[in-house]
Amino acid sequence: MASIKINSLAKTYDNGFQALQCLSLDIDPGSFTVILGPSGAGKSTLLRTINGLETATSGTVCVSNLQVNKQNLKSIREHVAMVFQQFNLVSRLSVMTNVLTGRLAKRHSLLSLLYLFPKEDYAIALKALERVGLEEKVWHRADKLSGGQQQRVGIARALAQEPLAIIADEPVASLDPRSSKEVLTLLRDICREMNITVVASLHQVDFAREYADRIIGMNAGRIVFDGPPSAFTSSQEISLYQHETMEVKEDAKMALAYA
Amino acid sequence: MVKSMLSANHAMAGLEGRPRNLFPVWLSLILIVLWRITVDLDIDFSTLAYGVSDMGEYFSRYRTPDFSRISTYLELILQTLATAFWGTVFALIVSVVLAPLAARNLSPHPLIYRLSREMLNFMRAMPDLLLALLFVAAIGLGPLAGIIALSIHTAGFLGKFFAESLERVDGGVYEALEAVGAGFLQTVMFAGWPSINREFVGYTLYIMDRNVRAASVLGLVGAGGIGLELNEALALFRYDRASAIMILIITVIIVIDHLSSYLRKKLN
Amino acid sequence: MQKWHWPTPNGLPPFHISIVVICSILLLALSASMVEISYNRIVNGWRPMVDFLGHLLVTPDWSYLGQLGAKMLETVEMTVLATAIATIVSVPVGILAAENASPHPFVYRIMREVLSFARALPELVWALVFVSAVGLGPLPGVMALAFVTVGFMAKFIAESIEVVGKGAVEGIQSTGGGRLQTIMFAIMPQALPDFAGTLLYILDHNLRAAAILGLVGAGGIGYDMVISMRMFEYDRIIMIAISIYLIVTLLDRLSDKLRKRIIHGKVNVIR
Ligand SMILES: Nc1ncnc2c1ncn2[C@@H]1O[C@H](COP(=O)(O)OP(=O)(O)OP(=O)(O)O)[C@@H](O)[C@H]1O
Ligand SMILES: [Mg+2]
Repeated sequence: MASIKINSLAKTYDNGFQALQCLSLDIDPGSFTVILGPSGAGKSTLLRTINGLETATSGTVCVSNLQVNKQNLKSIREHVAMVFQQFNLVSRLSVMTNVLTGRLAKRHSLLSLLYLFPKEDYAIALKALERVGLEEKVWHRADKLSGGQQQRVGIARALAQEPLAIIADEPVASLDPRSSKEVLTLLRDICREMNITVVASLHQVDFAREYADRIIGMNAGRIVFDGPPSAFTSSQEISLYQHETMEVKEDAKMALAYA
Repeated sequence: MVKSMLSANHAMAGLEGRPRNLFPVWLSLILIVLWRITVDLDIDFSTLAYGVSDMGEYFSRYRTPDFSRISTYLELILQTLATAFWGTVFALIVSVVLAPLAARNLSPHPLIYRLSREMLNFMRAMPDLLLALLFVAAIGLGPLAGIIALSIHTAGFLGKFFAESLERVDGGVYEALEAVGAGFLQTVMFAGWPSINREFVGYTLYIMDRNVRAASVLGLVGAGGIGLELNEALALFRYDRASAIMILIITVIIVIDHLSSYLRKKLN
Repeated sequence: MQKWHWPTPNGLPPFHISIVVICSILLLALSASMVEISYNRIVNGWRPMVDFLGHLLVTPDWSYLGQLGAKMLETVEMTVLATAIATIVSVPVGILAAENASPHPFVYRIMREVLSFARALPELVWALVFVSAVGLGPLPGVMALAFVTVGFMAKFIAESIEVVGKGAVEGIQSTGGGRLQTIMFAIMPQALPDFAGTLLYILDHNLRAAAILGLVGAGGIGYDMVISMRMFEYDRIIMIAISIYLIVTLLDRLSDKLRKRIIHGKVNVIR
């Protein structure tokens, strides 16, 4: 459980592109926040700065009062888990080993380099796999699983970190609707039961309405909407994805379907 | 507007037609260069043609292999194999250390990347026999000089192959390991090597194969193995012995070749 | 090992990895005496090494530069000539050694055996044989290089001819083309880009090989290397080593660049 405090965060990429423009945001501990926005809005950039995968050009990000910077990078990453659109599992390792990699930040010894883990890590990994419903696939190779199952392994890896927050960048963008629902339900339940702060970016507005406690709408590196799902009306939706729907408003729903 | 497009089209057509016309030019240029080279090297192909009958006579001297010293040969062949094996193991150790540093997307710092790449290039550039010559002068006759030479040269190869394979791994996997807070070595061990396990074994077998071949001539510079025996046999005009040695070497190399291609097949 | 274990069902390291590691260590231990590796040797071995490296820190013998240049040129020329000869020989041999282009299965088998024989021994052994056949000089070197190169190149050509799908071959044959036409129009154009890449690898390899052929008197820079070594002319050795490094690296970089361009289709080799 951790609060995330983002204060006048800006990010300019090496090529001069300004992906985030002075963005401030407070996320409550234990909440489920969904970030929406058209492609290129800066959702990934924002999420990645929280884990330190991108470094901010200016401004600060604090997770539970710990500022994200070079010195704290290790402990930030230990406590802030990432879930990726492409799962990013090590495909030739077993499911168990993949989940165990979530323990690496806490295991500095040389033994970890030889793939040796203590018993308690196995218990934690097994519990995480049970939580995502994959206890039967423990010794399967990761790339032998379906997309939805792989994403659940990704979540189990995140859980094995015993994190304060989980950052999920388009966790369901590569999944079919049914697996998407499973994965999002799983993330929400984890958020509720374990009091883990979850921030996820999505492209499906309906999912956002269904699962989120709070919706953040982003466009061109800025926050353009911030409120509960009930406040995110269809006119809000249209203006968020404006540049795609400007011409024919009636087709907004269609355009969104392809967003 | 239309006009300029038309002329551009024209230019394109011209460009496309050209290389075809240039082919004879290239060919004759290459032939001239080759001819110059033969003149320069003093190679006279007519003497070669004239010598064909001599060649027949010459090679007939190898017809009766003399295996009387077989136990010495076998011992030396074992030494050759051992040299190749030790060389491969050392090369493996060195390249496993250097390759992650020399993989662009894994290396902790661009400077380290450049340095280790250059180091691998340097190791690869020197032919193993010249290195063996140097090490024989440095630490004395014997297979150890050969082992060091083989390790240095093939560590350069293996390191380059491994680094390039590591670079082809999906960057997201490395990122995922970074994101859980894993250190550089942990990322290498959990995301790097397992992702290229097949290539790893394949390249290692290939290098082992190659090292057996190379070790069989290390003896020529006094770096151990069967090569010295062959050199001596030829120097004494004992073609029967040379023939026996060559038959043994070829047999061993072909066996190793089949073994490693069998193992490689089994892997896939 | 009660508390820590490996991520496998039984907690032990994977079977095949353990076997390979244990066997390797056993083999290393058993063969250590054979290759004269001992504790003593390792502990005391570095001293002569350092001494030797110290010898190499001398000012180069600049008067040798001219001869060095000539010898390096000879080495490069041997490489180019041998590779060119091998290429010319390899095309017909490769066709004969390809299962789907060879006139007869018997020819195919024989050719394959001959090629694997040519590949089995390193250039230097053949150089030794050819030197005692035709005498000292670059000629036996070129012969040895070309011989081994045919072994590799013809095998490669044969394999790429085999890989090219039957479809292309049938396409030409259905128009009534003969065997030779089939090969020229269906197989060669498709195999060429691949071949260009291989040619670069072979050139790279042959340059290194040519640099050592002189060890047995088969021409090139290797001869000077041995002589300087015998005479303890460290000021020359260092020059030779550096120039070999430079030229090999140069070719390496060039061929890396070319190979990338060929792969990315910027250079169309088919013309
Ligand atoms: N490494 C980079 N270098 C330069 N520009 C980048 C880089 N990464 C992202 N950008 C740019 O920053 C902008 C925001 O990218 P970001 O990935 O955060 O968008 P996003 O909202 O996640 O989009 P999507 O929904 O397509 O994932 C984009 O215009 C993108 O082109
Ligand atoms: Mg994104």
